[in-house]
Amino acid sequence: MTGSNTPRANSMTGKRGKRWPLRPLSAVILLVLAAGAVASSLITQKVVEDQERLILREQTAEVAAVVGSAFAGAQSSLQLLGEIARSDQGHPQLFTNAARAVTTTSTQAWLVTTQSGTSLKVTAATGDGPAVGQAVSGDQGTLARRALSAKGLVSGLVRDGGTLRLAFALGGAAGPGTVVWQESAISPTTPTPTGPTSPFHSLNVAIYLSNHPDPSALVVTTTKGLPLAGVQYPFRVGADTWLIVASSSQSLVGSLGQDMPWLVLGFGALTAVLMTAVIETLGRRRDYASALVEERTASLRSAIAEREAAQADLNRQENMAAIGQLAATVGHELRNPLAVVTNVLYLMKVGSKADANDPIRRHIATAEREISAATRIVSDLLDYAAGRGPILAPVEVCDLVAEALSVVPPPDGVQVVQRGEPQVVDVDRDQIRQALLNLITNAYDAMPDGGVLTVSTISEPGSAQITVTDTGMGMDEETRDGIFTPFFTKKARGIGLGLAVTKRVVEAHGGTIAVRSMPAAGSSFTLTLPVVAAMVSASQ
Amino acid sequence: MNGPAELDGPAVLVVDDEAGMRDTLVAILEHHGYRVWSAPDGETAFSAVQERAFDVLVMDIRMPGRDGVSVLQEMGKPPPQVILMTAYAREDRLRAAAAADVFAVLSKPFELRRMLRLVAQASRDNK
Repeated sequence: MTGSNTPRANSMTGKRGKRWPLRPLSAVILLVLAAGAVASSLITQKVVEDQERLILREQTAEVAAVVGSAFAGAQSSLQLLGEIARSDQGHPQLFTNAARAVTTTSTQAWLVTTQSGTSLKVTAATGDGPAVGQAVSGDQGTLARRALSAKGLVSGLVRDGGTLRLAFALGGAAGPGTVVWQESAISPTTPTPTGPTSPFHSLNVAIYLSNHPDPSALVVTTTKGLPLAGVQYPFRVGADTWLIVASSSQSLVGSLGQDMPWLVLGFGALTAVLMTAVIETLGRRRDYASALVEERTASLRSAIAEREAAQADLNRQENMAAIGQLAATVGHELRNPLAVVTNVLYLMKVGSKADANDPIRRHIATAEREISAATRIVSDLLDYAAGRGPILAPVEVCDLVAEALSVVPPPDGVQVVQRGEPQVVDVDRDQIRQALLNLITNAYDAMPDGGVLTVSTISEPGSAQITVTDTGMGMDEETRDGIFTPFFTKKARGIGLGLAVTKRVVEAHGGTIAVRSMPAAGSSFTLTLPVVAAMVSASQ
Repeated sequence: MNGPAELDGPAVLVVDDEAGMRDTLVAILEHHGYRVWSAPDGETAFSAVQERAFDVLVMDIRMPGRDGVSVLQEMGKPPPQVILMTAYAREDRLRAAAAADVFAVLSKPFELRRMLRLVAQASRDNK
């Protein structure tokens, strides 16, 4: 296995192209949970508000009950004072004394009025109010007439000079046509704060002598911030309907209740983040694991492929080695018989007539050509099988080319051109000459109808190039791809080892061989040899 | 050991275990005027060299029993000029080079003209 054991981070994110901070699943979960947290928070807030409203309503009702019971006391006081006034028999002092006994600091006046024709006159009085014998009119008159017609206590605001008074009036309490009064000074625009010990200290309250929050009917308030936005609670005081408007000055459900929506939101947000983190972590872990598995699988596959290729290579090498062994054995065994036949042919030739037209002479010549062809095959086989490394010595390239050309004279119709500049390279003379011989004889074979063989040498820094070019039949692509393969041949004669040997020899010198060829356009083989050959161990 | 009794050409001993090779070489050399003896193995060749003087020894390297190189090594000085023949070019060339004092090594199959030229040179040198 090549490469590291861990997948790189970018190999995982690379698939998505762009790197997002979260995986899509995690992002969706985060959004859903966050939305849930917000919704929970809103619901909690609504519940808390409802609870707040409910408590406010209850407390307001309690306030109304307290206020109502206070006024119920006022009604019984007026009833009692009326009885006293009715029975005083011309002694208004009795009423005055009794009234003083129930007077509180806020009470301004107690009085009795009696209807006399269309007017109303004060018949008994105490405190800072109208005097006995005075007629009442205006607000007081309106209130007194209402008291006479109504059943039970009536209440109203009366103006007496510059002061505003809250007046309670009970009709008929001192006999028919009489009204018994109580007046108290009030200052509705001045807030009356509730003390911290009051059970209602957490409320802002405004009380109106009306069934709606009419500023001119305001009786008392605990705050300047009017009108109040809060609960409206109408309640009966005697024959009239009063109104309490109340709002909370602080949380009625307690600070925990107040904070609950935020706690829910915070907790929800925390849960969302934690869940997202967990899912993101699990997801990344899974991605990491699958990336790891993928990479391991890929490297395993490539390792298997490499091994198979190596095995195939080894098999091929073993096959070639076996073939080489066979070739060497057969080649050696053929050498002696070939040599003997050569000798015999020689003896036959020297023993025959010296006439070139003698049929025996011609048969011997044919046999000699065949023997030399067989000898060449054996030499190719043995060269291939030998596969020895080159033994290097300085050689001048042009000399070597000339030597190779002289060994095999050109067939009829083939012109040979040699050109190039001298250069000395370190090569195995025998091996490179053999390589050149193979190329030259191939070139001759490719030009059965004649042509031009050009062998040119080019000197370059560090290397020498030898190019063998013919004007022969050329090769198609399939042939060109196969020519360096051992035992590949398109010739009628030969076993296909020449170019395989040539290639091996050149590569053993650290050189290269290249071929350019087109059908009917000739072929060109170029050997490139390093000036100082890199020693490459010859492979079998 | 077989050989002609009285001729006046240079004396050559051909040593080869292959009868065909041995006989054709003898015939060719005789055709070119040499007095030729032959031996089928190293032992016989060694005895022949002890018995009489040769100008040139043409000997196969690989033979059953004693091979060409060991015969050369035991022959002692002054040996005749020696031309070794081999069908196993590379390895035997190295062995022959180790034996030194070899006039030439021929790879089978060889050109007869070359062999004749070498034998002629060797016999001249030995005179």
